[in-house]
Amino acid sequence: MSTAKEILLQVQDLQVSVEGRKILNGLNLTVAAGEVHAIMGPNGSGKSTLANVLAGHPGYEVTAGSVTFRGENLLELAPEARARAGVFLGFQYPVEIPGVNNVYLLKAAVNAARKARGLEEVDAFDFLGMVREKMKIMRMDDSFLSRGVNEGFSGGEKKRNEILQMLVLEPALAILDETDSGLDIDALKIVAAGVNTLRSPERACVLVTHYQRLLDHVVPDVVHVLVRGRIARSGDKALALELERRGYDWVAGEAA
Amino acid sequence: MSTPVNALASRIAEDFAAATAAGGRGLDTRRRALRELQAAGLPGTRDENWKYANLRGLERLRFVPAPAGATAIAEGALPAALPGFSRQVFVDGRYAPALSGAAPGGVFAPLAVTAAPPGSLTLGPDQRFALLNEAFATDGALVRVPARASARLELIFLATAEAASGSSYPRLSVEVADGAHLELIERHVSAASLGSFVNGSAQLHLARGAQVRHYRLQELSARSRAFDTLGAALDQDASYRLHAIGVGGAASRSTVAVRLQGERAAVTLAQVLLGARQQVQDCFALFDHAAPRTQSEQLFRGIAASRARVAFNGKVVVAPGAAGADSRQSLRGLLAGPEAEIDVRPQLEIYTDAVRCSHGATTGKLDEQMLFYLLSRGLSRDTAQRLLKWAFLEDAVSGIELPELRRQVELALAAALEDETLKELL
Ligand SMILES: Nc1ncnc2c1ncn2[C@@H]1O[C@H](COP(=O)(O)OP(=O)(O)OP(=O)(O)O)[C@@H](O)[C@H]1O
Ligand SMILES: [Mg+2]
Repeated sequence: MSTAKEILLQVQDLQVSVEGRKILNGLNLTVAAGEVHAIMGPNGSGKSTLANVLAGHPGYEVTAGSVTFRGENLLELAPEARARAGVFLGFQYPVEIPGVNNVYLLKAAVNAARKARGLEEVDAFDFLGMVREKMKIMRMDDSFLSRGVNEGFSGGEKKRNEILQMLVLEPALAILDETDSGLDIDALKIVAAGVNTLRSPERACVLVTHYQRLLDHVVPDVVHVLVRGRIARSGDKALALELERRGYDWVAGEAA
Repeated sequence: MSTPVNALASRIAEDFAAATAAGGRGLDTRRRALRELQAAGLPGTRDENWKYANLRGLERLRFVPAPAGATAIAEGALPAALPGFSRQVFVDGRYAPALSGAAPGGVFAPLAVTAAPPGSLTLGPDQRFALLNEAFATDGALVRVPARASARLELIFLATAEAASGSSYPRLSVEVADGAHLELIERHVSAASLGSFVNGSAQLHLARGAQVRHYRLQELSARSRAFDTLGAALDQDASYRLHAIGVGGAASRSTVAVRLQGERAAVTLAQVLLGARQQVQDCFALFDHAAPRTQSEQLFRGIAASRARVAFNGKVVVAPGAAGADSRQSLRGLLAGPEAEIDVRPQLEIYTDAVRCSHGATTGKLDEQMLFYLLSRGLSRDTAQRLLKWAFLEDAVSGIELPELRRQVELALAAALEDETLKELL
């Protein structure tokens, strides 16, 4: 089929345990290039678990199933290799790292990805110019440049910083875990603008969110509802609106 | 079986006799120091504040001062000069005018040529290695800053002797008069990859309102063994900031005792200790609040990698008369190797009510969440770990206000951290 889009991410029958407890229970998900998928679902249903497993967090045990990224086994890659291959996780709770400078981290991250592709390191001056441009999109203050990673950032600033990193790294697949939580209305628009900036036929985005509000600004191609460790229902944007009205019990009831 | 204590005592007595056979200046003071030392003995691992120090095999040392005559020292053995500082160099404890710059008028003099070498201050039981220094040292630095004057001085103590041929006794006596300012850099370095024995002593007195910033770097060669004892007495409104960085040596022990004897006197210690390989880095700091409204702060950051042992013991005593004292401690140790050991111990003795104290002490490994965050951005594990270690030290390094010195310190720390990462890969 000539219109077939490249499959970026394919998750099949994924089962994941944490400390012996099964959290993901046969999850399937296929994300093609150019698509935006939203994942919604009740607290504790396993959304962050999925995001973390995709990024390679060591605290989770994959007991069955497979995950491929551009056709390659993602699960056997170390977290840093996944990042360099173009997988980006925007954390639900970004950690503060006092003493590690923001710009330094950005530059080290970009250079690590370039090195993996056999490219030279970025020119420090050009790089700073590029970062400043993206900071403008995110409406971030210059003082941010000299601060430690997320150090003393407000909740909303941390989320914006995640998106800034995404903009700088230009990943093929961005997984954003509740990047919209805790944002005021203006910040939500800024974050949405950031996500839309990167939207392109080659890239894809998985948005984990509790609110359909974000989806007004970043219109998803597919909406999934994750309940008790598996996708209970998928649909288009209308599903998000319906969830807003009827809550999760409705889906959960059907899935049970 | 011979008891090591006696073996050590007789070794010291013998070497003292040899060292003083030809007479010399200040013999009375030196003899008194020896007598005090013989009466008290050197500390042993069973002593309360010495259990982490490496005190083994002292009786096999040669305590006589290393012979003079290490002739041409390559200037390359010395660290890059710091702008604005007068540099004075000591080789194996002896003043080396050929390697030194012009001395700032009236502020610096080598102890060996001064009319009256200062006698011993009253030393506590943990300062007994200073007695050993006093008994054997024949030279040193005498620093006098007159009232309301200010001075910048860099003292370099270069060790060039193998322990088998004799010991090195860096010695430093500092008197800062009323309202005077002193920025003092004290560096201990080795000329080559020697195994030297270095036993230093520094005594400081800060008069009313005096301000001293003291940067101390121990960067001796990997086979060296070092002890040092620092005592400071602070009068009213005096302020003393001590930045101490220890990265070198096979085994080192630093003893710091600061007495806040005047009202509102304030002291800050920022101590960094890095241990790699099988290094032992040990520091004991005693702050004595003896007057009202005195302030103290201890900041410790230590990293133990490979099979190293790093220890910091910070003791704060608030005397009955020291109402309104304020004391803070932030002591943190980082374990960076499966066989490494780190011990961080805060001790507080408070004999009055109206005091403010905040004390925190933690030891642990690198934060897994932080590490994963950096990995998830594509940084290699190696780089991520190094960055986090760096970040861990940041608090204790950021207080170095001299940019060039800070750069040199950062380079020394980076070298030490790198070294250890390499080691972990092997
Ligand atoms: N490290 C962990 N240790 C123990 N339990 C965990 C761990 N991580 C996740 N869990 C458990 O797994 C389940 C799913 O957690 P997860 O964070 O994936 O939920 P979520 O869907 O992201 O929820 P929320 O909407 O609240 O963010 C929860 O019951 C949680 O307590
Ligand atoms: Mg979550």
